[in-house]
Amino acid sequence: MWAEFFRDLVDQGPLIMRGLGDSLLLTAIVSLTGFFLGLVVFYFRHCQFAIIRLILRGYISFFIGMPLIVLLFLMYYGLPPWGVSLSPFSVAVIGFTFNVAAYNAAYLTTAYHALDSAELEAARAAGFRPFQVFRLITLPQVLRFSVPALTNQVIRNLKDSSVAFLIQFNDFFSRVQELAATNFMFFRAYLFAAVVYLLLVMVLVLIARQIERRVMIPGVYIAPESLGSSAV
Amino acid sequence: MAFSEMLAQLASGAVFTVLVTVACCATALAVGLLSACARRVFPFPAVIRALDLFAFVFRGIPVLVLLFLVYFGLPGAGIRVSPLGAMMLSLGVISGAYLAEVFRGALDAVDAAEIMAAQSMGMSRWQVFLHIELPQMMRFSVPGMVNEFTNVLKYSPFGYTVGIPEMTKQALVLSSATLRGVEIYLAAGILYFLVYRLLLVGVRVLEKHWRVPGMGPAHLQDQPV
Amino acid sequence: MALIEIRRLRKLFDGHPVLNGVDIDVAEGDVKVVMGPSGCGKSTLLRCINRLVEPSSGSIHFRGAEVTGPDVNVRSLRQQIGFLFQQFALYRHLSVLDNTALGLRKLKGMKKKEAAERALHELNRLDMAGHRHKFPAHLSGGQKQRVALARALAMDPAVILLDEPTSALDPVMAREVAQLINRLHGEGVTMLCVTHDLEFASAIAERVAFLDEGIVQVEDRLSVLYEDHAHPSIRNFFMKQERSS
Repeated sequence: MWAEFFRDLVDQGPLIMRGLGDSLLLTAIVSLTGFFLGLVVFYFRHCQFAIIRLILRGYISFFIGMPLIVLLFLMYYGLPPWGVSLSPFSVAVIGFTFNVAAYNAAYLTTAYHALDSAELEAARAAGFRPFQVFRLITLPQVLRFSVPALTNQVIRNLKDSSVAFLIQFNDFFSRVQELAATNFMFFRAYLFAAVVYLLLVMVLVLIARQIERRVMIPGVYIAPESLGSSAV
Repeated sequence: MAFSEMLAQLASGAVFTVLVTVACCATALAVGLLSACARRVFPFPAVIRALDLFAFVFRGIPVLVLLFLVYFGLPGAGIRVSPLGAMMLSLGVISGAYLAEVFRGALDAVDAAEIMAAQSMGMSRWQVFLHIELPQMMRFSVPGMVNEFTNVLKYSPFGYTVGIPEMTKQALVLSSATLRGVEIYLAAGILYFLVYRLLLVGVRVLEKHWRVPGMGPAHLQDQPV
Repeated sequence: MALIEIRRLRKLFDGHPVLNGVDIDVAEGDVKVVMGPSGCGKSTLLRCINRLVEPSSGSIHFRGAEVTGPDVNVRSLRQQIGFLFQQFALYRHLSVLDNTALGLRKLKGMKKKEAAERALHELNRLDMAGHRHKFPAHLSGGQKQRVALARALAMDPAVILLDEPTSALDPVMAREVAQLINRLHGEGVTMLCVTHDLEFASAIAERVAFLDEGIVQVEDRLSVLYEDHAHPSIRNFFMKQERSS
């Protein structure tokens, strides 16, 4: 039975590999866009205008409290009647980016609260302008504090990318389902998909460990589970 | 269709959303607590390794993949699972694996001297866990548990893929019938957000009730006054 | 017959002897003090008695019965032996009253009300009843020590083992603990105390056993040990004590 499954798998190999490539591409893109938007949100989350701070706090809280899939459906099914038709890939990229950025901004904010405020005051007293303080003192430390949480988020992005098939994006998982639909070996197909995701996660975990080892500040560690929505 | 009717239909779905969320959170708690308990009461290398493997595997598989494996895959192996059961076995168990990690970190924050004091009073391993480690662990785990229960709520829409008429399903039906997807999904998003805030308020109340003055994890403990 | 009789007690950690043939007796109603430099095996000695540490060889008799070996009911043994830890080890999630009552309820099977009354009685005895609703984080070191003592006494133990009870306290508080121990001694409580605090030792006992390099080097009146400095390891120890104080 398994032999039969793997024969079909090899037959559909090119399609499945393409799906896998698309899943990884989506993961990579939203990890980057989500990271940079998260940085921007984090920066303005602490800017001098109370109204902007309030709006961004609301943004982070709302996107952490609302399912991603609702946002994806909103764009995918809701926008066409308004004359805006986006491809599944565009919808996924935009939706994930807003969602991931909210999480990343929350992690960075938690790390920011763990900073030594005397250090920031010292920098300001030394004559650095606010943006310089942010770029030279705040950001490097906050980023290092957040490495475990930020890399965790990339792993989450990979797993969550499987959601995109619900808006007809032909990712790895949807290709595996097509395979299952042709030979009715659902159990084997899903088990295969689970193992592939697990292996990819293992690779990402190993890479994350390497990054952590390189950039972490000795003696300073914030456990990823202590970072999160409770920060908001 | 009037907007109030749509809201009513979404709200009827919200009941199922809450049901799915509560069922999966309960599963996650059961799995996480069992794992934490096994780790402390049966601290043999084989048990620890098995628990670590369990946590790693179930944190590495996407919820949707496991849900489909359980709901659409298991019948091929002769096992039928109800839609809610499938959600509990996928979303619930995966969240349980995450909670197990949260609890593991919280257990490490329990002071070893207190455990030894309890043992030297004559308590069994189980009594030490029940009366000393568990109460402290639960309090240290509140932020992690809030995160995890929030995640359960946010993954609960997957229930529609196995036929549970929860809120996202209602939104799908409404939006295809009315072509007013933007308003409907926005309303659904706000309803999810309200459920989330309600959950936070609930946790705050519970936390206040169970709060122990001056108690934090061992390594963050303040100095004697 | 002594309450505790320790004979030729040895304990090896990774092949290295920490206790290397210790003989000690503790008589009923006695306050026995064991002194020695850090790392001499004092804490290990106490932990062997209530089996938190498994002895490698030798014998320990408690109330005439051997406590080493596989057939001993360790939990029942431990219920008869109070233990006071260096860092107090109060349960942080429980109030002072609940800390004291926990063992009574869960180990002696008392009802909640009965256990609370008994606990309150012990707290009263140590002048801590007024603090019964406080949590450990809000107590001073000396107060924690009193609660830890009340918690041990509540179980009505045959002996209380004290592991460096003053090392986490300032000198004023240490003197208070010494007074307390003397009072309990007067009330007939048996205690075995290990410490490296000379002032504290002289405040609670006339005679001390001196433990070094895994064996009891000498046991005598403190004044004799202090003046004669006969034994080289004792001389070393007392000189270090004087330098540090």
